[in-house]
Formats: sequence, C-alpha cells, structure tokens
Amino acid sequence: MLNKPNSKKSLLVAIDRNRIFILFTIVFLFMALFAPRFFNVFNLTTIMRTSAMNATVAIGFTVILIIGQLDLSIGTIITFTAIIGLGLKEYIGFGGSIPVAIIAGGLIGLINGLLVAKAKINSFIVTLGMMTALQGAIYTFTGGNSVSLSTPDAFAVSDWLALMIFPLVTPRVIITLVLIAASAIFMKRTRIGRNFYMVGGNRQTAWLAGIDTDKYTIAAFIMSGVTAGIGGVLFAMESAAATLNMGNSSLMYVISAAIIGGTAMSGGKGGIFKTFVAILMLDVLYNGIILFGLGNEVKIFIAGIILASVVLYEAYVSYKHEKVIGQRPELMKELEVQNQA
Amino acid sequence: MKKGLIFLMILAVFAVVFTGCKKEEAKVVEKEATTSNLGASLALETEVMNLKAADGQALIKIGGTVRKVPARPADPSALPETDPLHWWDMEFAGEITNKTNIPESPADGAIGKKVIMIVHGDHPWTTACTNGAQKVAGVYGMDLKIQSPNWDLAVQNQMIDQAINENPDMILLIPLDAKTAPQQARKINKAGVPLILFNTLPDAAAMDYAITWTGPDDFGQFRKLARLWADELGGKGGVAYVQHAPGGSPYFARCFGPVSELAQYAPGIKVLDMQAPGFEADKTMQLVSDWLTRFGDDLKGICAADDSAQSLGIFEALKKAGREDVVVIAAGNSKVGMDLVREGKLHAITYQTAEGDGALAVKTAADWFNGKEIEPIRNLPQHMITIDDVEDFYPPQW
Repeated sequence: MLNKPNSKKSLLVAIDRNRIFILFTIVFLFMALFAPRFFNVFNLTTIMRTSAMNATVAIGFTVILIIGQLDLSIGTIITFTAIIGLGLKEYIGFGGSIPVAIIAGGLIGLINGLLVAKAKINSFIVTLGMMTALQGAIYTFTGGNSVSLSTPDAFAVSDWLALMIFPLVTPRVIITLVLIAASAIFMKRTRIGRNFYMVGGNRQTAWLAGIDTDKYTIAAFIMSGVTAGIGGVLFAMESAAATLNMGNSSLMYVISAAIIGGTAMSGGKGGIFKTFVAILMLDVLYNGIILFGLGNEVKIFIAGIILASVVLYEAYVSYKHEKVIGQRPELMKELEVQNQA
Repeated sequence: MKKGLIFLMILAVFAVVFTGCKKEEAKVVEKEATTSNLGASLALETEVMNLKAADGQALIKIGGTVRKVPARPADPSALPETDPLHWWDMEFAGEITNKTNIPESPADGAIGKKVIMIVHGDHPWTTACTNGAQKVAGVYGMDLKIQSPNWDLAVQNQMIDQAINENPDMILLIPLDAKTAPQQARKINKAGVPLILFNTLPDAAAMDYAITWTGPDDFGQFRKLARLWADELGGKGGVAYVQHAPGGSPYFARCFGPVSELAQYAPGIKVLDMQAPGFEADKTMQLVSDWLTRFGDDLKGICAADDSAQSLGIFEALKKAGREDVVVIAAGNSKVGMDLVREGKLHAITYQTAEGDGALAVKTAADWFNGKEIEPIRNLPQHMITIDDVEDFYPPQW
C-alpha cells in the first residue's frame, strides 16, 4: 500500500531534479518539428556559438549563487575585459592582452570578494557599486568610443574562432565545453568543490565543520570575475570589436538561466551543467521565436513567463518544505494506530 | 539484340535532344519571366516616387546637392578634434572603398524579392522607419521581414546568422555599433547575401562589404545646424552639448560635427561641457540644472542629440532656473521637438525623416534588383526646421 505513493513521489522527485533536461527536450523537439529552417547544421551551429559567451560567464555566476551571493557586476566585467583584451592587443599582442584581461577580471572579482567576505558588506551593494565604477572607468578609458582591431589581421582570430571543425563544433564552442566540463567536475567531484555547496547551504555549519567560509566566498567571486573575463574576451575577439555596453544584457540572461537550471538563489543547490543546458534551452527558444517571424518583445515575454513559472514553483516547493519541518508524519500515523488500538 | 540496341540509342539521342529543347524552352520561359518581372518592377517606379510620408512630405527623397568631399589627410586621428578633417573617416565613410565580393545585380526586378531588414532597437523612430520601408515594399510586392534586436549586439549578431540561414535576396542592416559593423557586414558578404547598410554610419571598413549605405548626412546636417545656432548666438558665448549614446555615429556627428564646424565658423563660441545622460528627460534635466549652477550666465547655448526626451529635460531645467535666453538646438524631428519649435522654445531642429530613412533603404534595394547603378553613398536631403516652416512638417511622423 505504501509503495505506490512512494514510487509516485520518487518519479516526481526525478522529474523535478531533471526538469531542465525535460524542458530543453520539449523546446528543442517543438522547434525542430515546427520552426522553419531550424533543424540544419548552420542554424544549430549558430545556437552553439551564441550560447558560448553566456555559458562561459554563467560558470562563475552559478558558483556565486551556490554560495548564496549575487554578482551584478558580471555585465560590466565582460565589457571591461573585452576592451582591455582588444585595446592592448596593439601594444602587447593577443598573447599578452588576453591574459591581462582575464587577470583584470579576476582582480575585480577579488575586490568584490574581499568587500563581501571581510568587510561584511552585502554582495548586492558591493557588486552594484562595482558595476557603476567600472562603467565610469570604461567611458574614461575609451572616451565613449568602441574599440576595434584595425590591423590587416583583424579578422584572423575571429575567423579561427568561428571555424567549423565538424558540424556544430567551432574552436570557441570547444573552449566553452572544456571550461564547463572541467568546472562541473570540479564542483561535483572534488572536496573543495562540494565545500562551496556547504558554504551556501549553511554558512554556520560549514564554519563549524572547519571550512574557511571567507576564503570560499572570495574564491567564488574570483571565479566569477575570471569567467566573465574569458567570456568578454572571446566575444570581443569573435566580433573583432568591443562596444561599451556589450555585456549589459548578459546579467539578466545568466541569472534567468541559472534559476531555470535549478540553482537556488538562497544558495547550496544547483549545478554548472544544468545552467549550461538552461542557456541552450533559452537560445533554442529565442532562435525559434525569430524563425517563426515573431518579434523581440515576444521573446522577452516568453522568457519572463518561464522565469516567473520557475520562481513560483521554487517558492511553492520551499513553502511545502517549510510546512513539514518539525513534523514527523510516520510518528503521527503510529500514534493514530495506537489510538485506534 | 541488335535491334534493341539501336532502339535504345535512338531513344537516348531523342532524350538528349528533347531534354536540350526543354532546357532551351525553360531558359526562354525564365528569360521571359525575368524580362516581364523587371518591366513590371520598373513600371512601379512612378508610384513609389509619389508615395507620401505621414507628415505629407514625399516619402522618397534622395539627397539634393552633391556634398563636397575634401581630400583625406594622411592620418586624420592625428589632427585635433576641433579640426573637421579629424572626423574624415567617419563623416565620409564609404567615399573611399575597396569593394570586396559584391554580388552582381540579378537585374530581374524587385517584385517578389525576399528582403530581411534588421534594425537597431525598439523606439517610436524605428516604428516610423519600418512603416516607411513597408510602404515601398508593399508597392513592389516584396516580402519584407523586419527584426529588432532591441539594442542588444549579441542578439543582432544572432539575427544576422539567422537571416543568412534564411537565404534572402537581400539584407538591410542598421548596425548597432560602428566598430562591430565591419565584422557583421563581412559575415553577410562571405555568405553571398547582398547587403545594404542604412541609417547609422558604420566604420569605413564595413562599406567594403556592402552594396551601398543610405541615410542622413548627420555630420552635414549638424554643420548646417551649428551655423544657424552660431548666428543666433551672435558668434560668441559658452555652449554645452547633450550627447547621444556613446559608440554610434550620432554620438560624434551631433557633438563634434558642430564643435569642429564652430571652431572655424565662430571661434568666439566656447565649449563648456559635453555629457551623455541617456534618453531620459529627468536625467537630462538634472544635468542641465547642474550646468546652470556651475556656469550660470556663461551658458548661452545647448545642443541636444535628441529633440524629444532630452529636449524636454533641457526646457524643464531652464524653466526652473527662469532662463529664457539660452539658445537650444536639437536633432529632430519628433512631435515633441516640433511642438517646441512651434512654441518658439527650440531654435531649430534637423529634418530627419524616419519613414524616408527606411523607405530609401528599400527603394535602393529595389533599384539594385532592377539593375540600376547604385552610388556608394545615398544621403537623405539636408534641411533645418525652424519656426518659419515647422507647420509644413505636421502631422509628425513619430
């Protein structure tokens, strides 16, 4: 008698745990069947390439959410590092400018992390301040002008990044997939990676277990800065130019993807690979919407509906969870049986 | 056996001859169809040229007098920003090009052609612009698909990829950013899709990959507007610039156009400040209020990159400070801007037909399909709207 509800429950748990894969499959199949010109190599490669920047940035951002913090500065870090990566190329070549840009991203993350962990300032405030300060720095550095490569080999790197090695796979996609795989394994399969979950799940318990929570907080912000930097530099190299607001839309996009992918904003739960699948799902959806000839406003509307539904669902699950805390249904049943006897 | 072989050979010869005839026949039919489509398409020219914009002005206006192009300095960027030649590469982008892999016109008419127009973002101006484009496309019976990335470069890049995937007869593009335009244009060009850039000026390198560029001569318009402004100011006084969003060509044309023009025409006019507060009236009001506090009576003129929200903010700040002596000019011509001109507040605005901008791009595409010669640049005409002729431009396009 008791087996039936349990198997039903475990099925629901399995669906809940894998909801992003189910969502992705539904959206992909729908588009493949109905969206005109969706299912061809060129279009699917476009989706993979489009996903690459946000997927890279989302690695660090997911870790930030896992430790229960927020990083609003990722968009401006993308722009800042893209401008450094391209702007310094003329002087020190890509061999120098790319590492400098990524290190700059890491340093920004370090400052964010120190202010959150050591000065105990709310991450929302710290990263909002960093976002504004960086915007000012960007305008000062560029004089309001976008940065582009003007050398004869300007498009050589971008051509290489977009080179189709085999269907759907370009060097840029490979870089992104390698980063995601390495980070996902690190977070799930190593003790240090799992400690991030512990810090986000319950900071006090993590501290009592001997984990230096401040170090993990700082490390998460550095990761966020570095991955935003890599994303920014790759995007700029592919465009052969860096504009002053190129990272602006990434923040909302990455937050949405992380939440839809199942990463809890309260911390302690989520995964990099699931965020990546959520990004792919959103890109497939956006791609299909455009192929149907619908406007950007439809795209924003549908993305908002999906995000709102996921947030509502999470709130409901959380409410149910809170409701049963402190209750022991088995005990109540035992008591009922005793009373009947 | 022998008979069978002979029969097969006769059959083969017959098939070859028959197929050849069919091919010839198909070619003739195709040629006839091409000729008739081209003829029908060319016959629509008069109807297109008679189209009217919402403001009653002719929808298609191709730029009046031919602008004078000075010789390009060896290194324009080495010149000071107050030298008009410093802006040569931007102002005259497209005048010197090294056209690469530009497809030849099919010269088979515009009727039924599939054209994808990718604009920069959602705005009342864009709505008017696409309305104009649709009017022309409607007459030619073109299949015009319009897409807006809503000011997001990554989305615009994605839309370009998807447009290529649809294999249209032409892509019309407003580049979101001048510097990223070359890579976007190159990608379209490499895919073999004909491209026309329009509205905002891209980096000169982008022109190599496009059939042409159409749109307003923003620098030219603002040089003219600056002269009107200087005359009203009496050739002296302090002025400030409310700039466009950084990155695009209007950011430079609508600020450094007048700055460099006045450095020659009215050197007595001094630049006090230039800022880009965005397109919100309250932020512009705050900025201008700060200027009024900082510069006081030294501030005699303000040049705005936008005649709607920015201008509203400017006049709100001036009203609060009780200043009626400040001479304000702006890029136009929205309803807000024209109402301000009508009230005698805005001294002058540029005539910048939004519908005409979109219409000109589609008309140019049609001309190319019709096998006509296309100039490397097609400018909209220059005109300044003042209180003397503002009534001619009502009702406003947006």
